[in-house]
Amino acid sequence: MRIAKVIGSVLLNRSHASLARAQFKLAIPLSLDELRDPSDPQGDSIVVYDELHAGVGNLIAVSEGCEAAQPFYPDLKPVDAYNAAILDRIDIDNSI
Amino acid sequence: MLYARIVGTATSTVKHVSLAGWKLLVAQPLAADHKSSEGDPVLVVDQLGAGVGSLVMITGDCQGNRELLGDNSTPVCWSVLGLEDERPR
Amino acid sequence: MFLAKVTGSLVATQKNAAMRGYKLLVVEPCRVDVQDHHRLIAIGRTLVAVDTLGAGEGEMVLVTQGSSARFTPETKDLPIDTVIIGIVDCIQVDQYKVFNQE
Repeated sequence: MRIAKVIGSVLLNRSHASLARAQFKLAIPLSLDELRDPSDPQGDSIVVYDELHAGVGNLIAVSEGCEAAQPFYPDLKPVDAYNAAILDRIDIDNSI
Repeated sequence: MLYARIVGTATSTVKHVSLAGWKLLVAQPLAADHKSSEGDPVLVVDQLGAGVGSLVMITGDCQGNRELLGDNSTPVCWSVLGLEDERPR
Repeated sequence: MFLAKVTGSLVATQKNAAMRGYKLLVVEPCRVDVQDHHRLIAIGRTLVAVDTLGAGEGEMVLVTQGSSARFTPETKDLPIDTVIIGIVDCIQVDQYKVFNQE
């Protein structure tokens, strides 16, 4: 799971049937330097399936690839990014 | 599997149920020089006792991680597979 | 997933037999502009995606890539890795609407 900062949300007016009522958040994955100061991330934004109700500014753990659909096992959904956790606190050792 | 250094720790209250009770560490995959960063850091689960500063190998095997967490529905992508022994100087 | 703009469609008479009857769209992935977070910009790549929702040219869509693209009843037997899973109504960054379907 990469760590990403939530910057917004995406609303759909039509979606695949398996994704009805799903919430989608816009987030930017963070580099190590950006983890130390997440105020202005520069990476490519991604869209994350969110059932934990993350808010703008939250740092979240994003599962990517086929693991992202695993929470829906055995009825997998076409999801390739999933919010696995809202992070309360991250401590990075600055001496490294 | 990737060679990585544990650079930090993370805590979470609101999370997928399979993560309950697991320590979350921040692992930075390393480049060929074994020092500089290669790509974005990732969150890993650990049961081997890795700590900040540890050099570890991490695995992205989906099946293995499901077995480790004992949950077929876990979204966990990475776990610590081993801690590197200290190299003789 | 990522956001993408539908820029066209692709017709292929000769194709893998499993793909018969499926609509293929050409899409251009977009991301939030890091200089100006209230703007979406194309990243300059182009992809072909299977469409099961009836998206049209010019629309903003949500796209899933990788093996997850096969996790729908319609696509589970197709040799594909890119599928359109939603048609976007609006996109909000901070408090700003950066995209609104007209």
